[in-house]
Amino acid sequence: MIHLTDIEFEDIMAGAAAEFENLHLLQCALCRGRLAEKQAIASRLQKAFAEVHVSAALAERIALQTRAPAVQQPQAAPPRRRRFAAHWRSWAAAASAAAALIIAVPLLVYFTTPAPALAALADIHHHNMSETGDFVSETDPAILAAHFREHLGFNPRLPEPNHGLALRGCCVRRFQGDIAGSYVVATPQGVMTVVVVRQTPQAMGITDRVQRNGQVYWKSAFALSNMVSVRIGEYSYCAVGEVSHNYLTDLLARLLD
Amino acid sequence: MPHLDAVYRTAYALSGRSDTADDLTQAALLKALEHFSSFQVNTNCKAWLLRILRNIWIDRLRRLKTAGPQLPLDEALVGEAPEIAESVWSDAHDLLENFSDEQVIKALAQLAVEQRLTLYLVDVEGLGHEEVAEITGVAVGTVKSRTSRARATLKKCLAARANEMGWAGERR
Repeated sequence: MIHLTDIEFEDIMAGAAAEFENLHLLQCALCRGRLAEKQAIASRLQKAFAEVHVSAALAERIALQTRAPAVQQPQAAPPRRRRFAAHWRSWAAAASAAAALIIAVPLLVYFTTPAPALAALADIHHHNMSETGDFVSETDPAILAAHFREHLGFNPRLPEPNHGLALRGCCVRRFQGDIAGSYVVATPQGVMTVVVVRQTPQAMGITDRVQRNGQVYWKSAFALSNMVSVRIGEYSYCAVGEVSHNYLTDLLARLLD
Repeated sequence: MPHLDAVYRTAYALSGRSDTADDLTQAALLKALEHFSSFQVNTNCKAWLLRILRNIWIDRLRRLKTAGPQLPLDEALVGEAPEIAESVWSDAHDLLENFSDEQVIKALAQLAVEQRLTLYLVDVEGLGHEEVAEITGVAVGTVKSRTSRARATLKKCLAARANEMGWAGERR
């Protein structure tokens, strides 16, 4: 009798047994034994790893590292006691240096650290991309609208799902002491989040002004995410994603139509 | 965070150490975030993350020169299992229950890197041969033969240990 090959056993283990393999197993005790042994090994391996989980400390560390960095406040130097009479010149020099630092450090922080609002927008986008926690995975605009009405108090504008554009879900989260609604739109160019907030684009640090067809948009970027914002009524609609500014603007333009 | 446990478990299966698994998991997720734009929407996110993890581990092994001499990683055995006569355990399930989880994981760690990863992904993570082929960058047929060889090697390792402990099952 010709027994089953190793590859045939792998197909059986993967649940893709051919008819002749099943027939052979019915007739061959040796192959049945070999299969049972392979299944027992697989089962024992699964059991061995069943209790292997990531620690809470590591999960927290990763969450902190993958979250957008917060603005670091400049630390004031501790006061030092010095004898005024003996060191007045150095005092004056120190005062000058301190004055320079007072001006320079905030400027340095301003120019080198992304605004916290931009970080928070990118964070909402990444949270939505993970589709976990309070994210509502629904594609029906009516369901998303109902969720927004209940948790946000109003219905933000949603794009028409057509031409390869589809809604993926929505989320209502805290944003800079306020509440913000956001939804995910999948397009052929990529997946993006639209965050709806009360703050103006300028207040969020989205300050690069562009004009298209008479409409003013504001653009910025944080880490890998590009951002474009437009003011509609009392709200700013901020499109965030790893796609071009032009494409984000196209999406927002659909909301204005 | 999606797939965090799967990434960690795989890192643990590869390294056999919790501290190294911590480090690998962190490195893989940060790298994934850094290269998030390369992720194709509507593709398998878990497979993408595990491929990043696997590449980091292979890079580290190469840098540390712990992958042995210039043998292909997929075929090089880290620890050769003692030769045990080919047989079929009549009481495989009961026999395997004698081993602690730690002993089973330790036995898996004796396999060559790619065999270890392939067997782990197929048997523990329950991934399909196609998904494993995508992660490890080989053909589906190679995944099947590698899984089979890995299972046979693991069996040899466990059989040797069972013999030492006097647990060896009845053979046919």
